[in-house]
Amino acid sequence: MQLLEAQSVTKVFGSGVLSKDRLVAVDEVSLTINEEKPSIISIAGESGSGKTTLARLLLGMIQPSDGNIRFRGKDLATMDRSERREFRRQVQAIFQDPFEVYNPFYRIDQVLTTPVRKFKLAGSKEEEQRLIEESLQLAGLRPNETLGRYPHQLSGGQRQRIMVARALLLNPRVILADEPVSMVDASLRATILESLMKLKRDLGISLIYITHDLTTAYQISKDIYILYRGSVAEVGSVEQVIKDPQHPYTKLLVNSIPLPDPDIRWGSQNDVDQAPLTSGLKSAHGHGCKFANRCPFVMAECHEKQPPLYRTHEDRAVACFLYKNEPSVGGREMAESLAA
Amino acid sequence: MLSNVKTKPVDVRTKTRADRILDVRNLRVSYQTGGGQVRAVNDVSFFLRPSERLGLVGESGSGKTTMALSLMRLLQSPAVIEGGQVLLDGVDLLSLSEEEMRRARLADIALIPQGAMNSLNPMLKVGEQLRDAVTAHMDSGGKTSREARIFDVLESVELSRNVVNAYPHELSGGMKQRVCIAMGILLKPKVIIADEPTSALDVVVQRQVMETLGRVQSELGASIILVGHDMGLMAQFVDRVGVMYGGKLVEVSPVREIFKDPLHPYTQLLIGSLPTLESKENFKGISGMTPSLLTPPTGCMFHPRCPQVLPHCQVEIPPLVEIKPDRWVACHLYNGS
Ligand SMILES: Nc1ncnc2c1ncn2[C@@H]1O[C@H](COP(=O)(O)OP(=O)(O)OP(=O)(O)O)[C@@H](O)[C@H]1O
Ligand SMILES: Nc1ncnc2c1ncn2[C@@H]1O[C@H](COP(=O)(O)OP(=O)(O)OP(=O)(O)O)[C@@H](O)[C@H]1O
Ligand SMILES: [Mg+2]
Ligand SMILES: [Mg+2]
Repeated sequence: MQLLEAQSVTKVFGSGVLSKDRLVAVDEVSLTINEEKPSIISIAGESGSGKTTLARLLLGMIQPSDGNIRFRGKDLATMDRSERREFRRQVQAIFQDPFEVYNPFYRIDQVLTTPVRKFKLAGSKEEEQRLIEESLQLAGLRPNETLGRYPHQLSGGQRQRIMVARALLLNPRVILADEPVSMVDASLRATILESLMKLKRDLGISLIYITHDLTTAYQISKDIYILYRGSVAEVGSVEQVIKDPQHPYTKLLVNSIPLPDPDIRWGSQNDVDQAPLTSGLKSAHGHGCKFANRCPFVMAECHEKQPPLYRTHEDRAVACFLYKNEPSVGGREMAESLAA
Repeated sequence: MLSNVKTKPVDVRTKTRADRILDVRNLRVSYQTGGGQVRAVNDVSFFLRPSERLGLVGESGSGKTTMALSLMRLLQSPAVIEGGQVLLDGVDLLSLSEEEMRRARLADIALIPQGAMNSLNPMLKVGEQLRDAVTAHMDSGGKTSREARIFDVLESVELSRNVVNAYPHELSGGMKQRVCIAMGILLKPKVIIADEPTSALDVVVQRQVMETLGRVQSELGASIILVGHDMGLMAQFVDRVGVMYGGKLVEVSPVREIFKDPLHPYTQLLIGSLPTLESKENFKGISGMTPSLLTPPTGCMFHPRCPQVLPHCQVEIPPLVEIKPDRWVACHLYNGS
């Protein structure tokens, strides 16, 4: 059975009447996780491309404007209380910004005891303490030097790891991790990602890993979704997408990875021109491909309509007219095929 | 506990040197907590050359942000600067009065703090926030020269003038980060400290923001301390790298050597842990835990995790010494060589 699915979800922000205030943050995106086949899926794309919005949709924190989110086949919008509770337990989040999620007036203990109590994970105080300490250690933190502190008494990376510990505590079926390790050092990042991988291997916990770090995305995930302004630009196995990117935007992204080698100059491998600094201010786009105004390979038709996904390989599809000789494929069909 | 362990003082000259715009000597900062003293910056010495870009890396919790804040004297209770000197152009910032330090901030030394773009005031337009920053610090010159300066800095970070009328939420992450850089350079500081300036940005925007920061820096002739975890970014941006571990600086070397020939065993493992696109599922984290700063290990901070540990590493704190030109390391492996 499909564990968690986004079926052509769209999220529009803004009052809708004035079309210039409307912002399509997520535009008909589909994503599937199969319960029988736990998997690690990465989502990457520029700032503002809709990654966090997609995560919030998948978590049921916001409602889609169109399309739906399903958990074990059931639409989140039609769940009753007990179904919703089960969903909340099984789908956990590690949020992007460790500065925002904490209440500065509560000790960080509260972040951990609240879920234990809410979901009755422990039968006694001692068990609660043991569960919390175990999960902190899994995240590389010392319980006796972490518990009892206030958020401002921890470093950025330490706060991020509390969120990792919290997600581990609940032993869910899926963890949605939004930039979970952006502020920790490389060695600790490796340790945390390895423990997330072990969760998948040993406990069958799936992971949706949202990141700007394509190297770690390559390291841990099977498939990757590249979003551009809310739409899937390219999707497929990391082997295909990161090692041999096809969409001009994916190429730009992969070529912009700052390599840890002072002898290889940043961006020197670019065959896509450095993108012009688009104002970055929100703007409604026209009808064509959203990348057209930055694309060095732009063709007339790119300004006329949005390209569908073309399936260039068994396990990869690209939304770009350069590949229009390949068969087109629906987003949902592609997502389901990758999850199968 | 540490007091009965011998430490050799770091090689510091007492005279100011013209080739050092910033000279930090034996800096010690701790947080007084209920559980005891957290030694977050533990006898750290380093220097920064004019126009130089120094990277500061190290474990999460190793004291980087604390050090950055202490250079600015922006630490708040329960943090205490217990000793040391921060010589900026020969003047010890730690001996300035509050008022003198207030003037030095921004005008001489500026900080782009960790998580800066989330700390922009969501209720105020960008222009008002920039105006507040100039009026607080630029006493000379009238309103028009202040306005002119604001437009100047916006131009140098490649933002259009009309962002002054935007609220932070109307800007993309990259634009917000540029606003923070603009704020940092308003008064043309000699030293810019940037704490993780791009960790929330995608790689394309990251590159653009770092190019902006680099260009602004060379226009001003300023020096930069770039604090961060992204070793790729370090490789691409800085001249030298300082590596912190458990509140101590354990190595300072030119960027090429840090990657090609790291000296300290911690640096070696850190470089070894970097993921590559060559192989999948290949994680090489450093086993063991970050040292406790409340009850730090005796001797070298890294000895409990060090694969090359020597008997006296548990006893004696290795001093940071220059073992070859421009290569500083705090490790007993290099003693006597
Ligand atoms: N509550 C909201 N109201 C209005 N617009 C919003 C809201 N939340 C997000 N947006 C807009 O939707 C777009 C997508 O934002 P989102 O946070 O999903 O991007 P992201 O890919 O997570 O970016 P980043 O990499 O910077 O975290 C952005 O333009 C953002 O400004
Ligand atoms: N207010 C405080 N009270 C007590 N301890 C603190 C306080 N602030 C920070 N610390 C501790 O001081 C140490 C250094 O923290 P700091 O924020 O300087 O680390 P950092 O190197 O910047 O880490 P990161 O890379 O995760 O940002 C950490 O162990 C942290 O827990
Ligand atoms: Mg986001
Ligand atoms: Mg920090």
